[in-house]
Amino acid sequence: MDEDNTAGHSSWIKQHPVYEDLMNLDVGDGAQVYAAFLVYLNLTEVRGWEDVVGVACPELQVVLLEGREKEGELVRVVYPLPAHRTVSHKDLRCILDRGHPMLLCAVASDSTLVYQQLCDGLLTPEPPVGIQDQGRRQHRKRRLQT
Amino acid sequence: MDRENRAGERGVETLRNGNAAAERREEDGARTESDRDPDTERRISISFCGGAPFLWRAGDIKRAREEDGVVGALVGCLARQPRQNVRLGRPLEVLQEEACLLLERRRAAAVQHKDNQKNEGSRLKAVQVYQARLERSYEEQCHLALEDKKAVLQRVMNEEQNDHSGNGGTEQAVRERLSSLEKNFCFPRSAMAVQLCTARAGFGHCPEEFSFLSTDWPMPRDERSETRFRVYRDLRRKGFYLTSAGKFGGDYLVYPGDPLRFHSHFIALCLSMDEQSPLCDILAIARLGSNVKKTVLLCSPRDLSDGEVEGEVVYSSLQWSGMV
Repeated sequence: MDEDNTAGHSSWIKQHPVYEDLMNLDVGDGAQVYAAFLVYLNLTEVRGWEDVVGVACPELQVVLLEGREKEGELVRVVYPLPAHRTVSHKDLRCILDRGHPMLLCAVASDSTLVYQQLCDGLLTPEPPVGIQDQGRRQHRKRRLQT
Repeated sequence: MDRENRAGERGVETLRNGNAAAERREEDGARTESDRDPDTERRISISFCGGAPFLWRAGDIKRAREEDGVVGALVGCLARQPRQNVRLGRPLEVLQEEACLLLERRRAAAVQHKDNQKNEGSRLKAVQVYQARLERSYEEQCHLALEDKKAVLQRVMNEEQNDHSGNGGTEQAVRERLSSLEKNFCFPRSAMAVQLCTARAGFGHCPEEFSFLSTDWPMPRDERSETRFRVYRDLRRKGFYLTSAGKFGGDYLVYPGDPLRFHSHFIALCLSMDEQSPLCDILAIARLGSNVKKTVLLCSPRDLSDGEVEGEVVYSSLQWSGMV
């Protein structure tokens, strides 16, 4: 996959049935569809997601992917986007307001991916692990210094 | 001492002396206390300096923090430790949004610097009074110094007398000095102790300072500051404490309680709904957020024309998913 870039997709990608399906969604943004296809491959081949399908989002004119991380889990929506693009809060809300947990996936030109989790409202972060241990460690350090 | 003396004679205070300026503000407050109703009196006064809002009075700072959750940052130099910037003192610089909200909720009043020209006469009078007091103080100190010197010589003389060692010459010399003291004693002005009554110095600002201090007014001036303000106000309503998040590349750090007791939970990014931001910026801040165990919050005020009043601001939490 490495030798591919958005400029010239090799023929096996063009012939891939899923890629053809995604193209048939008619969103007219080739680079985004290509990114979506790379994410599709990553989700299905690397992460083993189930039931991954491409859906069109007419408001944004983009392809989204829906799937489950494991069987029986909630459906998650993935918004694949080439990393050099810009995005507005409105775009993100448009997808988020569908009600599914959402992942924003940035696809770099070398096909590396990163997933960012998005959710509505204020999600309090997990407390840092081992606060007490840290305190003890600091205490020990202080004792050593004196 | 000499330097203080000269500064006193000029009758001007420099802003460099943070403490003195603080006391002066206190004095300003005290002077007008009588002609204020209790409601106005309880208001926090905000001074503006080049557009930045400052709180000078310790009582104001305490009240703003306890009652209004205004944290701000101390930026003044400690009067007794001027050569360090680790620990700082008054004034407290607050965020534009904090000042705006205080003003909007009528919890604070922006200090209006009174026109100096009108008070020119009273200012001159104050300078005269001050100089007269200096003169009085000089005479007093002169008198005290003379008494002191006399007492010393007297004691030496008494010791000589009691000693009886027969050295009459020394005693004679001391006696002569004592008698000439009355005529020739001179107390140098540079040796005079000057009390700078910073708590009650009735001096105003010089015209340059005055025009500098009365330049700006904290109103949301553009779309960006309007966005920031609305987000600030909404988060405050929800009970969060906010400080500026410059060091995390965001707009606010959001604390669940007083920042002295809690770590912040969120890095708030204020952006309007339609604002396009580069994806790589969002990736960078989300990744940073996960490193420091904070959630990145995208905050956009709702369109005012939108009918729904579910909440004034839309929040989306952004976290690195950890799917590597």
